[in-house]
Amino acid sequence: MIATFPHLGNVYIAVKALFDGLGIDYVIPPQNSDHALNIGAKYSPEEICLPFKIMIGNYIQAIEGGADTVILTGSCGPCRFGEYCELQMNLMKSLGYDLEFIVLDMPKDIGIKELINRLAAIGAAGRKSRFEKLKATKSAVQVMRLIDETEALAHYLAGYERNKGECKRLLHRCKKEAMKCSSPEEMLSLIKEYKKRIEYIPVDINKDPLKIAIIGEIYTVIEPYSNFYIEDKLMDYGVSSKRGLTPSWWFKNMILSPARINSLNIKKASRKYLPLEIGGHAKECIGEAILSYREGFDGAIQIFPLGCMPEIVSKSILPAISRDCDFPIMSLVVDDMTGEAGYITRLEAFIDLLERRRENVLYGS
Amino acid sequence: MKVGIPKGLMYCRYHPFLVTFFSELGARIIVSEDTNKNIFDTGIKTCVDDACLPVKVFHGHVDSIKDKCDVLVIPRIMQLQKNEYICPKFCGLPEMVLNSLDDLPAAITEPIYATSWKNLYSWAKTAGKFLGKSNNQIKRAFISALNEQKKHKTGIADTGYEINIALTGHPYNIYDSFLNMNLVKKINSLGMGIMTAEFTEEGILYQEAENLYKRPFWTFVRENYGFALNGAKGKKTDGIIYVSSFNCGTDSVIIELIKNSLPDFPFLILKLDEHTGEAGINTRLEAFRDMLERRLFSDSHISTLG
Repeated sequence: MIATFPHLGNVYIAVKALFDGLGIDYVIPPQNSDHALNIGAKYSPEEICLPFKIMIGNYIQAIEGGADTVILTGSCGPCRFGEYCELQMNLMKSLGYDLEFIVLDMPKDIGIKELINRLAAIGAAGRKSRFEKLKATKSAVQVMRLIDETEALAHYLAGYERNKGECKRLLHRCKKEAMKCSSPEEMLSLIKEYKKRIEYIPVDINKDPLKIAIIGEIYTVIEPYSNFYIEDKLMDYGVSSKRGLTPSWWFKNMILSPARINSLNIKKASRKYLPLEIGGHAKECIGEAILSYREGFDGAIQIFPLGCMPEIVSKSILPAISRDCDFPIMSLVVDDMTGEAGYITRLEAFIDLLERRRENVLYGS
Repeated sequence: MKVGIPKGLMYCRYHPFLVTFFSELGARIIVSEDTNKNIFDTGIKTCVDDACLPVKVFHGHVDSIKDKCDVLVIPRIMQLQKNEYICPKFCGLPEMVLNSLDDLPAAITEPIYATSWKNLYSWAKTAGKFLGKSNNQIKRAFISALNEQKKHKTGIADTGYEINIALTGHPYNIYDSFLNMNLVKKINSLGMGIMTAEFTEEGILYQEAENLYKRPFWTFVRENYGFALNGAKGKKTDGIIYVSSFNCGTDSVIIELIKNSLPDFPFLILKLDEHTGEAGINTRLEAFRDMLERRLFSDSHISTLG
């Protein structure tokens, strides 16, 4: 078995740690690019959402690299993501690829036994002892958490840094070097070191940069290619940004959700506007908007792929929050036809607007 | 007390229940008119622009009755079967409406889980309490509403046509003749009979959907996919016409599933949105009829010269 998986932000770093630890052969698809999207858009159903198309591109590029098994998480709706596995299986088969899918669904939908079977199928390929497997999983989770924390720190400190571009440079170097590590332990200590370096970059504490929260659909906010590297752009502009949805948040949320103690702060914050769980991450989107307002952020940007059902609901609620709290929120819709120039213009205009809401208009770095 | 019920979305299927329930409770029922140009335009103007056409039209219906009633019923249909949703937009429908329209009266937005009598009754109880009625009154109204709903049968099953097609899609797209530009009549006048999913037994629909890898978690996957597959079997129907609204998330999946399972069966997809032109729909329907005719009756007589 040579495993592969679709890209989602920094998940590939953690998965590398996991598969290295488990001793499984794997192919990491090339970083998302126009090429991947073009392949995906060519074969995918026309009206399906953007993540599906990019994922198809990932698979085909990974197959070219020798992969034969896809590992994918699932859900049981009401969002379309739950149907991805079935459509993608059919699609890859009709394209003539002999690709096996291992879909990791929640135990309440497929039964705990089936889930263990599917997990065992992955684990069996590695021929490691149970102890080693658990150790690999643990360090992969740690890597995920650390890289998410490092990234969040860099995004936040980018507004305060003295030497422009330092946060961004360190963050990118960290990711690049993490991929050269050969064992999970090595990777952990490397990311820890970079985290420390970002923590200790020279900052100007007198600065009061703009702070923007990134909210919206989980794939498009996490995967930088799909949102045109919005966080990198914000770092370039000297804007501090925060994003609540991360792969490690998702993992924690999933583990805690059977006991219903997941993301209590988000649930509490969003209750007034969206009392029920409607699928996808609409509730999180609303909750994050309100939380970031309470934390003193200047504005929020919602990003979602065209036709994303839960986010359409939250898009219609956000103007009410914006009105009630006097909190600017912009919605950006992305799909395979989005033009980057128009996108950047809107982003810049939004930042200008936020700046002008402050008293000292001339402020900026 | 005047209770307003918008004639949009699932109203076409569940109006006997809603209307009987509230009129038994002694309320005056204000139902919006059939969809017309005015409702259509206000809906498009007020609703968030990413939503699909039926949801936009629902906004128009609410807008047209909001000044005439004291209480508005916005059905938040969560599940009709256990663990099966309709669409996230249905779950968040009240929020969409309440935040998009101004000056709305009080609204009943309690979630509806129609998975069992008991679950549905908890909706009825909250709705009845909202109108200030006693438990007994609510119970009586609920039972007669359920009976009324049971008597009501929707669906089309034409007989006596040479060509029969399966008309699939969400019921609010099929039965709203303004939205789909009189599609049912158009198909009939082209000499094609229509069958809709309501006349196929639930058990058969379940059976057909069984061979899917993933247990369907939308009600309309089972209904439309199962019906299309069953209709294609044994010449029950000669072709499938799928009415879908542009940007419908569930349809984008269901259509793919049907295409995958029936690669060689005549299948026409009609997309509706606010810009759909009637002439284009006519042309496509006529072409589909011609294609079916040749396929069925003159398979070998097609001139190669055209």
